[in-house]
Amino acid sequence: MNQFITLALANGIPLDTLVLVLILPIIVTVIAFFRQVIGIKAFGIYTPAIITFALLATNQIKYGITIFVTVIVVGTLTRFILKRARLLYLPRVAIMITIVGFSILLLLFVGGTFNRTGLASVSIFPILIMITLVEKFVAVQIEKGGRAAVILAFETLLISIIGYYIASWHFLISAILQYPWISLLTIPINIFLGKWTGLRISEYFRFRQILKPR
Amino acid sequence: MISFLKSSRKILGMNARNLQFIRPNNLRRARRLADDKLFSKRVLKKAELPVPNVIAKIKSFEELENFDWGALPDSWVLKPNRGFGGEGILVVYGKKKPARDASRLGRDAGGSLPDTWIKADSSLVTIEDIKTHVQNILDGSFSLAGVPDIAFFEERLKLLKLFKPYSFKGVPDIRIIVYNKVPVMAMLRLPTRESDGKANLQQGAIGVGIDLATGVTTTAVQGKNKVIEYLPGTRLLLSGIRIPYWKDILTLAVRAQEISKLGFLGADVAIDRDRGPVFLELNARPGLSIQLANLDGLLGRLRRVEDLKIKTIEKGVAVGMNLFGGEIEEEIEDISGKKLIGTIEKVKITGKDEKEIEAEARIDTGAGISSIDKELAKKLGFEEAVKYWEDFHLDRTLSNEEIKTLSANETWKRLEQHSDIIGVAKTYSSHGATYRIEIKLNLALSDIPIVSKIAIANRTGLKYPLLIGRRDLKNFLINPAQEK
Repeated sequence: MNQFITLALANGIPLDTLVLVLILPIIVTVIAFFRQVIGIKAFGIYTPAIITFALLATNQIKYGITIFVTVIVVGTLTRFILKRARLLYLPRVAIMITIVGFSILLLLFVGGTFNRTGLASVSIFPILIMITLVEKFVAVQIEKGGRAAVILAFETLLISIIGYYIASWHFLISAILQYPWISLLTIPINIFLGKWTGLRISEYFRFRQILKPR
Repeated sequence: MISFLKSSRKILGMNARNLQFIRPNNLRRARRLADDKLFSKRVLKKAELPVPNVIAKIKSFEELENFDWGALPDSWVLKPNRGFGGEGILVVYGKKKPARDASRLGRDAGGSLPDTWIKADSSLVTIEDIKTHVQNILDGSFSLAGVPDIAFFEERLKLLKLFKPYSFKGVPDIRIIVYNKVPVMAMLRLPTRESDGKANLQQGAIGVGIDLATGVTTTAVQGKNKVIEYLPGTRLLLSGIRIPYWKDILTLAVRAQEISKLGFLGADVAIDRDRGPVFLELNARPGLSIQLANLDGLLGRLRRVEDLKIKTIEKGVAVGMNLFGGEIEEEIEDISGKKLIGTIEKVKITGKDEKEIEAEARIDTGAGISSIDKELAKKLGFEEAVKYWEDFHLDRTLSNEEIKTLSANETWKRLEQHSDIIGVAKTYSSHGATYRIEIKLNLALSDIPIVSKIAIANRTGLKYPLLIGRRDLKNFLINPAQEK
């Protein structure tokens, strides 16, 4: 193990924290790559990153995905109900968070009755993160419309799942504990991504009619 | 594959737009001007550009409570000052007159009821609705960064007659990308039912590409990437619409660039029925769909003008018109106002029951009237009429004497009794005469619709089932050298 890591551990920094902090740059670089080169937008960079960690914190990824999908479905349904009430932004979000919170509670309860104890034992931290995801969701709904919000939500889920598998890749974790500085390699990669002016892969699809030989 | 790579290099993507065009050309001060509609309106008005008039502004909740709703005219547009992508805009078309109550007198009989306006989809908008909408605007629900905003009422522009059939409720506008004082690409944006009367492509409006030299529309796209030819649900071609005041519109766009100092500008111009071209909006982050509307890449065009030294607005407009305009052929068509065609052309025929058949036709200026083969006419649903005519045994070459007897017997009167037969034509040529029936048929030649009074003939043995004669060629010029 690397000297720096040994030193950090000796000073009482938990191993989990070390791994997460060192792997965070890699996750966010992947998100940046998805946006700039592939063209998958998601909800910015913060949301997919935090959802990735929420997924890591649930016992099994399927429970994390279940909670995520529930939040989006309930969020979409509540939107239709609240649309008529014509409420201002913050009170509306507050109501949505309440309803989503109760739906998650119901989900855990139903999970319990079907002996899915794994679902109920998910810690509160990832659940709270997922519930507050609804604010981002509402904001995008207002800005870009319901359809776009759902698409972006699932792009976020997709990136988060990919992030989850990267962050739980044993080879990567042991490599990063051996050589913590590889985490810094993401900086030159991001400089390259930041200067990248080529077409995104999604744009080849979007502009296919122009690219078609005529 | 090579052509694919070549054309992909011409397309402007999001990354290049942000990094190479918006960042270096649209400095923060200029971007702030563009993002503040009221401010940019003031600046443009000061420079004597025509802009839509502001009716009223609401800056705070207090102003909203004290607002005099009676002062609003019958039609207006409510906009968030810092809105983007057409979000948060409310358009009303008229005021609903409250019904008069005969049992009451004076003011109580009507008019004192709360004011109600009518939206594009003919739904009603009450003062309460408007208030909630304004509250949302003031809260910043529609503004770029979610910051508190100002709401303002603007005069609604009047629709030009030319655009009436193409536009659902709203007023179409013209987006022009201006770079280095040169207009490089333009599109006409038509509001649709899907877009709720708004001219925004993201919301389902139609974008129609424009030939910069002539101001005539070319190709079209609906929504994000559906390429279309006709206005959905109609037979109206979207290409070939000639936009009036074209040069003035381009000049307006380039002037707006000079005033706003936005090096990479998306200028929105509309045409008001009374005022002519009116400058709507400055756009510091123009969208990329304009490329789909024109089926051409923007990057290729931007590269062609980036090193030019353009001194005057007139020069910039002229360069844009010359570089990104039509070809010679279209110019001839322009001068004469007529379409250029060859001697053999494909013709779209619409028969009974809207049945469409495409057939090749001989373009023949030696013939007066057009004619169609009887078999083809049968296929188009005129079977009965053709049979009726065949029963007279006239589907053949006749002698002059026979024709004389037919005329003397007034055979045409009997033929015309059939509802599809609208006339009878006699033709004489070196190899004999014919006695033909005429029907009404809708043709489209080179995309120009013709309502033809066409004669049914026995054209078996001839190469083309259709012949277009002088009577239907008034809007065309014929070039024998043109390949079909």
